[in-house]
Amino acid sequence: MAFSCKNSSKFNGFSGCIKMVMVGTSAIMMQRRTLAMEASLCVKKSKKKGADSVTRPNSQISAAMAAVTPLLLLLLLSSAPSFSSGSRNAYNINGRVKIPQGLGTKGYALPGRMSNVKVLLNGGQNITFLRPDGYFSFHNIPAGTHLIEVSAIGYFFSPVRVDVSARNPGKVQAALTENRKGLSELVLEPLREEQYYEIREPFSIMSLLKSPMGLMVGFMLAVAFLMPKLVENMDPEEMRRAQEEMRSQGVPSLSSLLPGGARN
Amino acid sequence: MAIRSFFLFILFFSSSLSPVFSLYEDQVGLMDWHQQYIGKVKQAVFSSQRAGRKRVVVSTEENVIASLDLRHGEIFWRHLLGADDVIDGIDIGLGKYVITLSSGGSILRSWNLPDGQMVWESSLQGPKHSKSFLLVPTNLKFDKDNVLVVFSNGRLHAISCIDGEVLWKKDFEAESFEVQQVIQPPGSDLIYVVGFAASYQFEMYQINAKNGELLKHESASFSSGFSGEVSLVSTETVVALDSTGSILLTISFQDGKISSQQTPISNLVEESLGPAVIIPSSVSGIFAIKTDAVTVFIRVIGEGKLEVVEKTTHEIAVSDALSISEDQEAFALIQHASSEIHLTVKLAHDWDGNLLKESVKMDRQRGLVHKVFINNYIRTDRSYGFRVLIVMEDHSLLLLQQGEIVWSREDGLASIIDVTTSELPVERNGVSVAKVEHNLFEWLKGHMLKLKGTLMLASPEDMAAIQSMRLKSSEKSKMTRDHNGFRKLLIVLTRAGKLFALHTGDGRIVWSHLLRSLHKSEACQSPIGLNLYQWQVPHHHAMDENPSVLVVSRCGPSSDAPGVLSFVDTYTGKELSSLSLDHAVVQVIPLPYTDSTEQRLHLLINADKHAHLYPKTSEALSIFKREFLNIYWYSVEDQNGIIKGHALKCKCTGEVADEFCFDTRDLWSVVFPSESEKIVATVTRKLNEVVHTQAKVVADQDVMYKYISRNLLFVATVAPKGSGEIGSVTPEESWLVAYLIDTVTGRILHRVTHHGLQGPVHAVFSENWVVYHYFNLRAHRYEMSVIEIYDQSRADNKDVWKLVLGKHNLTSPISLFSRPEVITKSQSYFFTHSLKAIAVTSTAKGITSKQLLLGTIGDQVLALDKRFLDPRRTVNPTQAEKEEGIIPLTDSLPIIPQSYVTHALRVEGLRGIITVPAKLESTTLVFAHGVDLFFTQLAPSRTYDSLTEDFSYALLLITIVALVAAIFVTWRLSERKELQEKWSFYSAFASQSTFSSLFLCDN
Repeated sequence: MAFSCKNSSKFNGFSGCIKMVMVGTSAIMMQRRTLAMEASLCVKKSKKKGADSVTRPNSQISAAMAAVTPLLLLLLLSSAPSFSSGSRNAYNINGRVKIPQGLGTKGYALPGRMSNVKVLLNGGQNITFLRPDGYFSFHNIPAGTHLIEVSAIGYFFSPVRVDVSARNPGKVQAALTENRKGLSELVLEPLREEQYYEIREPFSIMSLLKSPMGLMVGFMLAVAFLMPKLVENMDPEEMRRAQEEMRSQGVPSLSSLLPGGARN
Repeated sequence: MAIRSFFLFILFFSSSLSPVFSLYEDQVGLMDWHQQYIGKVKQAVFSSQRAGRKRVVVSTEENVIASLDLRHGEIFWRHLLGADDVIDGIDIGLGKYVITLSSGGSILRSWNLPDGQMVWESSLQGPKHSKSFLLVPTNLKFDKDNVLVVFSNGRLHAISCIDGEVLWKKDFEAESFEVQQVIQPPGSDLIYVVGFAASYQFEMYQINAKNGELLKHESASFSSGFSGEVSLVSTETVVALDSTGSILLTISFQDGKISSQQTPISNLVEESLGPAVIIPSSVSGIFAIKTDAVTVFIRVIGEGKLEVVEKTTHEIAVSDALSISEDQEAFALIQHASSEIHLTVKLAHDWDGNLLKESVKMDRQRGLVHKVFINNYIRTDRSYGFRVLIVMEDHSLLLLQQGEIVWSREDGLASIIDVTTSELPVERNGVSVAKVEHNLFEWLKGHMLKLKGTLMLASPEDMAAIQSMRLKSSEKSKMTRDHNGFRKLLIVLTRAGKLFALHTGDGRIVWSHLLRSLHKSEACQSPIGLNLYQWQVPHHHAMDENPSVLVVSRCGPSSDAPGVLSFVDTYTGKELSSLSLDHAVVQVIPLPYTDSTEQRLHLLINADKHAHLYPKTSEALSIFKREFLNIYWYSVEDQNGIIKGHALKCKCTGEVADEFCFDTRDLWSVVFPSESEKIVATVTRKLNEVVHTQAKVVADQDVMYKYISRNLLFVATVAPKGSGEIGSVTPEESWLVAYLIDTVTGRILHRVTHHGLQGPVHAVFSENWVVYHYFNLRAHRYEMSVIEIYDQSRADNKDVWKLVLGKHNLTSPISLFSRPEVITKSQSYFFTHSLKAIAVTSTAKGITSKQLLLGTIGDQVLALDKRFLDPRRTVNPTQAEKEEGIIPLTDSLPIIPQSYVTHALRVEGLRGIITVPAKLESTTLVFAHGVDLFFTQLAPSRTYDSLTEDFSYALLLITIVALVAAIFVTWRLSERKELQEKWSFYSAFASQSTFSSLFLCDN
């Protein structure tokens, strides 16, 4: 809440609290919450801010986030019209990129590098980067339909269609274009991880045996050792008969094929 | 050979659809290389952190901010901002945040210095456009928070350094006020904003830095007006030039009162200099003025009195001031002398005394020094040492310290304009560059390691050793031509006018040459390089002639500025000759004819539509005259929406007889209605593309003939409203029209209108198909379409006899009036990403199947099999179609992560993808360039004609050994067995015989 308030007050000159109510109203329009609740929260927060204005912003943010995270997300979703700009129809788009912690721990050394993530509007017309907590914003965007893409090595993000409405300022609609899923808030998460390399399979006897050469060797061994065993189990009478037959047919035995076999 | 590989190709064609390009992680760097650059440095700020590694933060003309290691020049981190987000200023706040002001002063960002993470971002608006300034005062505090002072868009802001919050702001709305300087005198709480109003009034605003309150506003008018920039000589004095550029105005605004002094330049310098300009510098008490030939340094003494301290005709560069103690400021000065540069470091108040004077030998190919940045360090003996960072004419960045170049970066390579390739020299007998392994032990050790690696027994250290061994294998970086055609030279032309030759094996710079013809001169004020062409590619004389390239450039940005040609030897990098033309170069047409020395004929079209033939030899002219009637070309005027076809008419009918100049005539023109169509893309086939077969055998033993013509042009037009950015137009008022036009006859062979589509359009043309990428407004997704064009006139040539005897392209007359019988097939698919570039793989004989190379918005290059873009795909392909390799139709194209040719790397700022065939049919070489460079080899249908890199020779060897051993063992076994058998037979016989003898005895 406080973060959003501070954020928006950066873009225009109004004092934090007035601005906050404005952002609040736009959120209310969408979320049908009461103004009173927003306003009371605003006052509460501004008191708090006065108390510890010396502390580092990050700690402030995290403290505030812990307290009012759900509201914060709702507020961030709203795109506050920036009154200070010369043109009337310029809006801001605020959102957040969230990479789940579980993802990316395996594989290569990228993850955790939020600094390498880029957010692109309309095919690179505007490019912005992420703050440490994953938030991003585009400033002075005309009303209309826009496309937001996230470029992050190792993750696949679906482009997001964002409609900034001119009729009721502050209303933003977002939908993933890949699966046409609507987003209730502009929080972008990767659809999947991208593995750029083939996984090398660890050494195993099976893989060696399955290779053509392995099969060849296997067949050779089978012939060399199993065949004699089969022959042994045969009845000696039958065997002799078979040998006789073979000789009479002139089928060469293995030994006669080899150079040594010619001796007999 | 071709037939054999064709069969193999068929074999692989029918193989499964697993990603063809796939790489194991340990194969990275074997066939590819990646180089990171930043571009020409605009501004550099040294980090003053005592602990940790020394850094310098730079912003560049390629819109990069980067943190570099001051010791080695490596990049710690780097961000490429958007193309419209030009960086105006950078600084370091609180010692740990990098502050950047960009987009004409409307976006202020803060980055964490150690890791480059963005900390905050603020958008600054203002009433009107103005110059922008970023000040980081060290002593201006606001509740323990450092304050940044930013002037942009006619508004002064004070911004918190910690979270980017605007503390106060003040508008300067006066219509004509133009800000020139924003000054924050150290140790005070005041901010001065000075500028001109209505070009003759000097305005000064004094502002309280605590709350933005306007304390004083004074103005004074000067009848002579102002010109150019002002230079700040002290915190309360500026120097400006009057509108004629001959009188210096010293304006001081001490205590809020404006007083001024006028000094004609002629009083200071005897000889007349002509109009001068002020070189802005921040050194207190000293400023410089520059005329065409002379640079004059002037010191301000006391009440507006000026004194010349130095006058030099050398090229000179001055750094900003560096404060080294409470009241001392030092600055660096670099002067050129033939092959050396002289670096001097002086104190601001003492011109004659030098703190440091060094000479550094400088490569002439780097040109002049453009920028100097100075930094100091404390030596072990507690004296000051200085290091300077210099930016050269070729955009390279060098660090000088103690008279030596500590490191250098070739950042010119971040802005490549054009690329071509050249073969390497043929290996001559006796002159072998190959290194032989030092001794047998090394050789054995290497092979043992490799064996261990294949058997997966190697430890991580061993793996690292194997990897480094593979990488530095001398084979791939040899300087001679190889069998497979993998080793080539990439010749690249950069925006700085420097030509580089990169070796495809490892990406090293073989030679580099700053083109003399692209050097600024009297005749040619601002030369720009345009294109590279292969001028001479010797095949028959490969042993005794070197190939050369043609560099086409022109003097000045307008298209009718005279052109300059230079010819560069690609083996040595020497400029063979250069020609200053008396005509402009609008179009260069490499003709498919070469003369006896294998120089290619080129036709240059100038602004008045005259064609000039090069080389200007009589032999070239005679070849050209023979083909005079066969030369056609086209021109695209995308402003007017006209495409015209041209042919040659006759010799030039000018006053000067020039037999190499020809008049041209217009043959046809296609005029697109300007209210409904605007040309956004035109593509043709690559000139050197090879098509292997004209026929395509489809499932049911049917044959389709590809319509293959070199003269096909693909044109895409969009509604003028829809030529802007995405989201600026509704689907109803936007459309895209795609045309296929024959550039000889001007006939439109195919036209298709897509409604609700928008650009930008990226297209690629190859063989008989074109693939284009655009944005679908209705679905709000990107789409790709394919159009294939087939020749219907030969459709009944179904069998071999008809093929030989039947109707043929060559026998049927080509006429302007006969409509070619063609049919087209097309299909569209969704594609997830925006594109920056698109290319197609090309191989030596065109047998291998094709892959599209898509440069995505994330600066990666994705390889996509052409089979995914086949208009014959259906949802349920028949068995015959499946056997042919047709993939069932899906609505979107798949993105398989393993088929990213750039794997886990980014080619930051990707601009172009170039493919070059290798000699080996299966392989194509891919070079992607942007701010980064990336090179790799691709085998679209796998390497069917050679063994892959990871082929296990050891396993083959082991198998052979095992087989041989098995043969001997079994032979032995069988022999023994036979012996035993014989023994038993004989013994049985013997016992029988003894028995019988006994029997006989008994008888």
